[in-house]
Amino acid sequence: MLVISGVMNGAIYGLVALGFVLIYKASAVLNFAQGYMLLLGAYLFWFFRATLGLPLAVALLLAMAAGFLVGMLIERLTLRPLIGQPLISMITVTIFLSLVLEGLVSMIWGTYPLQHVTVFHDRSIRMGGMVLTTQSLIACGLALGVAGALIAFFRFTRIGLAMRGVAEGHQIVQSMGISVRRILNISWGLAGIAATIGGILLGGTLGFQLALSQIGLLAIPAAFIGGLESPEGAVLGGLLVGLSESIVSGYVGNAAGVPAAFVILIATMLFRPYGFFGLERIERV
Amino acid sequence: MLTLSNVEVKYAGVILVLRGVSLQVPEGKIVSLLGSNGAGKTTTLKAISGLLRTELGEVTAGAIEYQGRRIDRLDPEKVAKMGIIQVMEGRKVLRHLTVEENLRLGGYIRPNGSVRRDLGMVYDYFPKLRGRRDSVSGYLSGGEQQMMLIGRAMMARPRLMLLDEPSMGLAPLVVKEIYEIVQRLASEEKTTILLVEQNAKAALGISQFAYVLENGRVVLDGPAGTLAENEDIREFYLGLGKLGEKKSYRAVKTYKRRKRWL
Repeated sequence: MLVISGVMNGAIYGLVALGFVLIYKASAVLNFAQGYMLLLGAYLFWFFRATLGLPLAVALLLAMAAGFLVGMLIERLTLRPLIGQPLISMITVTIFLSLVLEGLVSMIWGTYPLQHVTVFHDRSIRMGGMVLTTQSLIACGLALGVAGALIAFFRFTRIGLAMRGVAEGHQIVQSMGISVRRILNISWGLAGIAATIGGILLGGTLGFQLALSQIGLLAIPAAFIGGLESPEGAVLGGLLVGLSESIVSGYVGNAAGVPAAFVILIATMLFRPYGFFGLERIERV
Repeated sequence: MLTLSNVEVKYAGVILVLRGVSLQVPEGKIVSLLGSNGAGKTTTLKAISGLLRTELGEVTAGAIEYQGRRIDRLDPEKVAKMGIIQVMEGRKVLRHLTVEENLRLGGYIRPNGSVRRDLGMVYDYFPKLRGRRDSVSGYLSGGEQQMMLIGRAMMARPRLMLLDEPSMGLAPLVVKEIYEIVQRLASEEKTTILLVEQNAKAALGISQFAYVLENGRVVLDGPAGTLAENEDIREFYLGLGKLGEKKSYRAVKTYKRRKRWL
């Protein structure tokens, strides 16, 4: 039972971690604001669904579009001016961006948890002695589906190939006529969508509250564990984190769940510094 | 086709690298740019292709004209779309991608349907690559990587190809093979080539015209054959002394001898 719920949560972490990895691959930026993009995306969905009362599908689509826009805007306004500057500046910007986003969300929607909105119908299914909600099942399926779609996009499309090329070297692909700026923009937009969907799914089960960002932050160790350059690794890392969080919470106690993820991160870094699927440095000897 | 007029290039606003370079590349020809290290050859190519701007470099004076249009302030993507493709020095392959993926990205700016035909063309010129098409490019040998880079440039069907030191670090036989293919490219695909080389012998062997760059200025130019006979070129770049003369120690002390063109 713990395993199942852990895997379900893990799928969502995996999706958000995928967004994190997309940004890292394209621009070598560690987007510490990923959890907060998740928060903003989730709250925007709540706005469309609860405040405007739009039908579910419309609210979902609008939220996804908004997530894409949020990602692109963040790249355009805060990171593009820093191209060519040391990487540490960009990473620092994402750290403080988190605070800005949190403040923004609190200002608009207040600091108390929002009225609960069910994302999908809440029905229970009994499966072999365990009780599952359709809510969680659909969430898990959707998360894995979107993650799979993004991975396929990355691997099989022309733009996906261009993104992987940009990850190898900005100057090199510029000499081939690829607009690095546009590709970076799209990467951030996609990461925004991933974060938003993750936020919506988490919000459906845990409620739309500020703590969502903390949970979203778990995606970052998931990405590291899976290997920062590997989209597939991000999903697997997410599943691992979800599993460990669930199992540890169940056996040791609720508060130990999140730290458990970081313990696994440290353990992974000791034995596999590049993560399980990270790309090893290709050095010519 | 390409004209540089008194081009001056500065890095970070203070480091003057090109001090008034003028040269011309006629259509359909192979032109060499020779010079020792630090002369400014790579900077010249990057000024043409626009990659200078990604390194805090700037064309501060003079003009670069391509088919009548000024290109010295354009983004590298725009210059590439106009048909000028640079093969950078240092064998900059997209390391974790396979050979075929590298080539496909090379053809990014081409219309969608032409990829297969272009790939076929490149593999015809470089049969070795066909066998290695699914290998991770970072693990290829130097010669194979260089071939892939030239192939990657060809995928964009350039009108003008800027080749930066293709022979660097390669075995003489491999260099010969690559140069033969470059010559074929020029004649069969009608690609104009501006070739930067340290290996003056190989470069002069396939070019029609050559310029010698030193300290950011063109110091000598002429038809490749004439330059190959030039005494200073022979001594300083080809490593040949005067034929039939007894070499005295004074002749060996090249640091004491001034180049005749200075």
